[in-house]
Amino acid sequence: MPALIPSWRFFSTITPSVRIEYVITQLDALTNADWQEFRPRATQLTSSAVIKRLLWNPHWNETLFLVTCAERLISAPSQHSIDEINTRLLRQLTATPRPPAPSQYLYFRLAFWERQGIELTKTIEYVSEGTPIGGAVNDL
Amino acid sequence: MTFDTALRASEILMALAFIQQSAEHLTAAPRERIIFALRIILSALLLAHLQTAWVLLGLLVLGLWALHLFQGPYNGGSDRMSLLILACLCAIAWVPDPIWQHTIYAYLGFQVGMSYFISGWVKLKNPEWRSGLALADVFHFSAYPVSEDLRRWANAHRILTLLSWGVILFEVLFPLAFLSQTLLMIALILAAGFHLSNACLFGLNRFFWIWLAAYPAILWLQDRLI
Repeated sequence: MPALIPSWRFFSTITPSVRIEYVITQLDALTNADWQEFRPRATQLTSSAVIKRLLWNPHWNETLFLVTCAERLISAPSQHSIDEINTRLLRQLTATPRPPAPSQYLYFRLAFWERQGIELTKTIEYVSEGTPIGGAVNDL
Repeated sequence: MTFDTALRASEILMALAFIQQSAEHLTAAPRERIIFALRIILSALLLAHLQTAWVLLGLLVLGLWALHLFQGPYNGGSDRMSLLILACLCAIAWVPDPIWQHTIYAYLGFQVGMSYFISGWVKLKNPEWRSGLALADVFHFSAYPVSEDLRRWANAHRILTLLSWGVILFEVLFPLAFLSQTLLMIALILAAGFHLSNACLFGLNRFFWIWLAAYPAILWLQDRLI
């Protein structure tokens, strides 16, 4: 039914905005962990990059899907949202020239940004269990 | 515009939008790749006007499969519009009665108008949109601006208030464009420009292509009614 009678309430309210942060570390070694934002946006985009993204924008659209998964994880927690975030993070993080060691673990957390008065505040609302890099890579 | 011409224009524009959307999934995990590779093949068949009714049914099945895979839309509103257009075109292909075909296509045209009106109405009711604060928040801390440089726009309060009112008034008054074909053409060009700017500023490229696919329906409906 939502396909036949869709909701068109785009941007009706501006809610706290989520960022996915991750760290790859030893099991449960999260004290003083160096959390990184997943796919931070570019400082600046050239006009040609903007035009190219009209036709080819897979990473950005995947990142928006992960934002949806993160919001679902808070409003209606499910293993599907956790798996989607873990799988897509691991696919990108292991596809580098220097992938993390299989003995390490991936953790992610959800940081929500919102404006309170004139100040921006950041609240961590979820920290994942560790996912073993070695065990997960074979499933990607 | 005749019904057949408008319908074919919708099919072609939707097929092109589906190919663009689906190509972006071809670097994803294998199960996702399979669905969207099949979607590209079926969209190409739709472009070629081969077995259109069966192709549309196949695309609808793939659309529902994708909904299941992602446990909901992958790309929010653009997926909702994609499914709406697809469901309407598929129903038109399978119902034999021309009156029902016209009614379903008219419903699609009506929903295009509603997509602007409702979107504007919910903003009009929100004091933060009326003051420009909501749009400032979109630039300030939302996930949408495509670059950090764009976040500086959050400080341009006067311009953002004007932009907010421009968007609200355009969306709320959109149904009035129905009164004349020229007015509707101008409104749709402005609307396409609005989607294009959203694609450039917020990376919402899929919205731009799929909304274009619905425009023939509203043009046909206006021509039919007025």
